[in-house]
Amino acid sequence: MTPLTERYVQEVVRRIPAGQRDDIAEELRTTIADTIEGRGAAEREVLTEMGDPLRLAACYSGRPLALIGSGLYPAYMRLLKLLLWTVLPLITAVSVVLDVLDDNDAGSAIGTGIGTALVVGAQMFAWLTVVFALIDRIPQRAAVDTWTPDDLPELREPDKGGLAAGLSVAWNVLLIGLIVWQHVAEPFRTDSGERAQVLDPALWSGWIWPVLAGLAGLVAIEVVWIGTRRWTFPLVAGYVGATAVFALPLAWIVYQKEFFSSAFLADVTVLDSFYTVAALGVLAVSAGNVIKALRDARG
Amino acid sequence: MSSEELILSQAQELRRGTVVLACLALLREPQYGYALLETLNDAGVTVDGNTLYPLLRRLEKQGLLTSEWNTDESRPRKFYRVSPQGAEVRDGLVREWNDLVASISQLTKEN
Repeated sequence: MTPLTERYVQEVVRRIPAGQRDDIAEELRTTIADTIEGRGAAEREVLTEMGDPLRLAACYSGRPLALIGSGLYPAYMRLLKLLLWTVLPLITAVSVVLDVLDDNDAGSAIGTGIGTALVVGAQMFAWLTVVFALIDRIPQRAAVDTWTPDDLPELREPDKGGLAAGLSVAWNVLLIGLIVWQHVAEPFRTDSGERAQVLDPALWSGWIWPVLAGLAGLVAIEVVWIGTRRWTFPLVAGYVGATAVFALPLAWIVYQKEFFSSAFLADVTVLDSFYTVAALGVLAVSAGNVIKALRDARG
Repeated sequence: MSSEELILSQAQELRRGTVVLACLALLREPQYGYALLETLNDAGVTVDGNTLYPLLRRLEKQGLLTSEWNTDESRPRKFYRVSPQGAEVRDGLVREWNDLVASISQLTKEN
């Protein structure tokens, strides 16, 4: 018995229930030897053809080769979506609100928000996957997630886009609120303990006004749309105009690096690439929204 | 994908389902793994070793095959043969096969 074959055989049988190990090992050895002899092929070639030992062992033991098999996959995806799109934003929002109440500090609140979203999101993903992988390895699982037509979601036709528009309104209102709040409350604390705005105060005698006006315009137009559910021509024109009034100055401010206050920049290092990426991001998202609105209006 | 390639891959799907029946038919006489593989491939039922050998184990576990180690020759070999239950299942599958052939030829004749 050559070492290569023996290594292969050991690699297969150590993943097989102990009771069958010797029998399968013995049969594999003769089979491999028979194949080499019968075809006049090289040992290496024959082993390559037999394939990954892990796969072969799974065939012998009947174990699944997937972490979460097709039986549980739909339930897994449904739960994962629920956790990441509903529970995670709630937890993140609560942690940000608590942090604002505690510290009244924008930098720390943003940090808490991002940190919570990343850590809790990763935890949710990891634990859900572990639990489902374990359930998939318990032999008796007939009752798990038998789908019935009752599980079908209601048709969304009557509320087409309503939720998205609602979220968009909430987001824009939140943005206006944050901009005004950081101006009034001066939530940023410099290393020397003085309070300061996050955004450049000079913006308040200039470019911040079209940004705020654009946001307010977007909110008004989206509220009208939620009420009527129809994109009339004036409404679409208004939406495009408001988006331009909001996005173009904002992208310009960011691109010109006139976005953050000098107090903020003294403590926080902002990479040059951030400005470029953020400016392009604002333009791309806004362009996407406009295209979507135009499409909805036509369709 | 060209038509030939599509035919080839679909034909492989068709043949895959026949491996169990072919094994149960061939193993009237006791046979060991590699020899069975060669016989099957010669008969046009292409199957890889890493599929066939675990399959034989599974059929044995289901009680359709019995096995015995033969140590008369230079290498000890595990010989499989059909059990009485395996013969019953084989006859049932042969009937299914004949029905299938009949209905498919009926279908293809009409078109």
